[in-house]
Amino acid sequence: MAARSRALDSADRIYFTLAALIGSVLLVYFASVPLLGLNVAFHFYLMLWITMASAFNVASGFAGYMPFGYVAFYGIGAFTTAILVKKAAFPLFLALPLSGVAGIVLALLFAPTLRLSGIYFGIVSLALAGICRLVITNMPEQLTGGSFGLQLGSRAHPVQSFYVMMAVMVVALATILWLSRSRLGKALRATRDDADAAEMMGVNVPIVRLYGWLISAFFPAVCGGVEAWYTNVVDTETAFNTLTTAKTVIYAVAGGLGTVTGPILGAVAMVWLDELIWRQFPLLNLLILGLATIILVLFLPRGIVGTLLRKKPQWRRYIP
Amino acid sequence: MTVAIETRGLTKRFGGLVAVDKVDLRAAAGETLGIIGVNGAGKTTLMNCICGLYRPDDGGDVFVGGERVTGQAPHVVAHRGIGRTFQVPRVFRRMSLIDNLLVPVLDRKAPDAELIGRAEAMLERMQLIDLRHNHAEELSGGQQKLLEMARMLMPDPPIVMLDEPFAGVHPVLCKFMIERIEETAHAGKAVLLISHDLTSIYRLSTRVIALNQGRIIAEGGVDDIRGNPAVIEAYLGT
Ligand SMILES: Nc1ncnc2c1ncn2[C@@H]1O[C@H](COP(=O)(O)OP(=O)(O)OP(=O)(O)O)[C@@H](O)[C@H]1O
Ligand SMILES: [Mg+2]
Repeated sequence: MAARSRALDSADRIYFTLAALIGSVLLVYFASVPLLGLNVAFHFYLMLWITMASAFNVASGFAGYMPFGYVAFYGIGAFTTAILVKKAAFPLFLALPLSGVAGIVLALLFAPTLRLSGIYFGIVSLALAGICRLVITNMPEQLTGGSFGLQLGSRAHPVQSFYVMMAVMVVALATILWLSRSRLGKALRATRDDADAAEMMGVNVPIVRLYGWLISAFFPAVCGGVEAWYTNVVDTETAFNTLTTAKTVIYAVAGGLGTVTGPILGAVAMVWLDELIWRQFPLLNLLILGLATIILVLFLPRGIVGTLLRKKPQWRRYIP
Repeated sequence: MTVAIETRGLTKRFGGLVAVDKVDLRAAAGETLGIIGVNGAGKTTLMNCICGLYRPDDGGDVFVGGERVTGQAPHVVAHRGIGRTFQVPRVFRRMSLIDNLLVPVLDRKAPDAELIGRAEAMLERMQLIDLRHNHAEELSGGQQKLLEMARMLMPDPPIVMLDEPFAGVHPVLCKFMIERIEETAHAGKAVLLISHDLTSIYRLSTRVIALNQGRIIAEGGVDDIRGNPAVIEAYLGT
């Protein structure tokens, strides 16, 4: 018994050492991008997609939902920051967290749909995102800038927004790493695997799902705000683009839903592949990416990390 | 003897079908109540009503430790002290065995390390310890039954409900499970046991109820049930 507990402690030590090591390598790498004159735009979006895919994973991989309208949170975040900064002269450091709050408020409005499951939830989510887009499109032009969108003006600062994006990514990943080991995370996973059984084992399923949902909605909303700042412009066309959801889903699935490392690796691999393909075949970009996704899902149905961990169950203790 | 679990006039309809029909049952601490009946007699539905998964119809009631729990959410009923297993195992497929066992005790104040220690001891007892980091879906059917039993016992509930624990289980494993159930009853729990395996039912039960078309057609000690003409008729047909 004592020996076994010690073995567990040593597994934990390996886990935390690995996490700290990989975390600091990534941190140093991303932090030095602007300093070394590497491609800031590429890495900005890499971090954005890592954050998006990881946060999406909370709703899908942890909680078992497929929110096909995930872009709604991103879009609402983008518009919140843009409107607050442009129309209400809010400082960015206040507007960005408020974007996250807007995401949470929207998630609370959508919360009744958590009773649905599977494809029904997905379709309703998609419809709700469409409604959000319609509502914003039909708001007064003075507020949202209409079809021209909102220009944030002279506030653009690629390097500052790069580091803020990095901070958002770090907080998101830390949250998800915590979640994966927390009791809430276990409750969420149990709910995903069998909600009725979890409920009969004493899990307060509606509350647990709601927490997961809110976490999952907060980060894309902040991402939307940061991206608005970075690109300096927000319009409904890009802020509520379904392609954003599609990319998020593909990256998360490619890496492996339900693992912490999966969506990170998936985003890195696919964003890099996207960039490569885009350079070689600018016109066929989406087609080839779609094919790559299909092949990946066919051969690695659980994603890169998910498939690896299925082959090597004993690694699950070290690879979250 | 304190009554741990009791139902009064418990009824459940599915459309026109009355799956459970005015069932009154009670089990005291340390007692094992066997529940028998042909396929579709209403045994599983009865358990589903007791643990709050289904809301009973027609004003039927469920009492746990003398307190009415009718209409409460399943997680509330679970915290009142009911644990259960399922006819077809419902393990948390993509969670490790240890995490499976932690789910019913997530609300406990005890530190994680202590709970994990208890989960490991429980897996040891069920001879699943070597698989503790595997996902539950990687277990065989019989092993999943054992895992469910361990998961049920983790929070140490005063009332346990077992739905066909022996179905599809190897005889050696069966014997092992029977011993675990005996242990559980001796530990002072009220046990509700559904099984088609009459030998085990007769061996384990202090009392037995026989259900047919949702209704209790016979009730009593093992010997009363064994010779009861209504039971024989329901089981063998006329
Ligand atoms: N969710 C449901 N919806 C509709 N009918 C149901 C439902 N669950 C059970 N029934 C019906 O209720 C009746 C009792 O079913 P139940 O599962 O309780 O039987 P059982 O005694 O457990 O049988 P078995 O020994 O085969 O497990 C059956 O006729 C079944 O068709
Ligand atoms: Mg049944």
